[in-house]
Amino acid sequence: MSVRINLHPNLYQFTNDQVIVEVEGRTVGECVNQLVKRFPRVKSMLFDKSGNLLNYVDIYVNGESSYPEELAKPVKDGDEIHITLIIAGG
Amino acid sequence: MLTKDELGRYDRQIMIRGFGPEGQEKLKRAKVFIAGAGGLGSAAATYLTAVGVGMLRIVDHDRVELSNLNRQVLHWQEDIGKGKGDSAARKLGKLNPEVKIEAIDEMITEANIYQLVAGFDLIVDAMDNLPTRYLLNKVAVEKNIPLFHGAVHGFEGRALTVIPGETACLWCVYRGVTLEGKFPVVGVTPAVIGCIQATEVIKYIVGIGQLLTNRLLVYDGLNMKFAEFKLKKDPNCPHCGELARGKK
Repeated sequence: MSVRINLHPNLYQFTNDQVIVEVEGRTVGECVNQLVKRFPRVKSMLFDKSGNLLNYVDIYVNGESSYPEELAKPVKDGDEIHITLIIAGG
Repeated sequence: MLTKDELGRYDRQIMIRGFGPEGQEKLKRAKVFIAGAGGLGSAAATYLTAVGVGMLRIVDHDRVELSNLNRQVLHWQEDIGKGKGDSAARKLGKLNPEVKIEAIDEMITEANIYQLVAGFDLIVDAMDNLPTRYLLNKVAVEKNIPLFHGAVHGFEGRALTVIPGETACLWCVYRGVTLEGKFPVVGVTPAVIGCIQATEVIKYIVGIGQLLTNRLLVYDGLNMKFAEFKLKKDPNCPHCGELARGKK
């Protein structure tokens, strides 16, 4: 069971420049936990000190938003997760 | 009616299927409000001027700084210290004297926004901060004015078109999140996104193609990829949801 996580460019510095990470899991949360286990420095970019997803992180599964219960969203073999960060520059 | 000069100037776009002289006349009648004359605003305003919209109002309160010049291509070395709106209007007027360009040197606030956008058909969101973007979105939805959103960071950009009452709005997507601090950016990124915003504006006015509605387009210049995410209207959105509509 493999799920691909497409990372936001701001995370590359914490993943040895890996753009896509393949993980296993039944939910978005399980997949993200695997990502964090492999690349621990990603954690502070995605979660606050209480372990809640930061409000500027947006997660999409197969192109659809997983908000509001992002981490509980079920995933299956072959799914694509995109972790994006809200941006505001002009 | 288009003049002989206009038919000459716009010859190549009038040739496009679905465009024609009728499309050009629609552009000529259009009044476009551009919020921000920075990186996004420079690109969007340049191409909306070149395409021949009737009127552009560009609102920006900032002065040109040296650190703007890597991306805000309507401002040049000689403009450092000058108002961005005036600096932009001066260049655009030389590019296409057929377009009425108006620069307003004001900060967009809740107190002046209704007056600033009054009489305008479309709003281009070329701001650099989320609170003002939300303000533009709120007024766009309330006044039923289409909003053309763009944002950039580094080599990344995103764009979205909002048709009030029909499609997901900016608040539906960003939920009121705000961000602080100076953002990194390379000039080509707002050029790409500003041109996408201008493309959407042109399509909307002329009435051709499919708009970037209910879809968030994310451009990743580092890997040269475009991704698209589906968006839905949030029924509880404080700007466009049922409650918000009930308040009007």
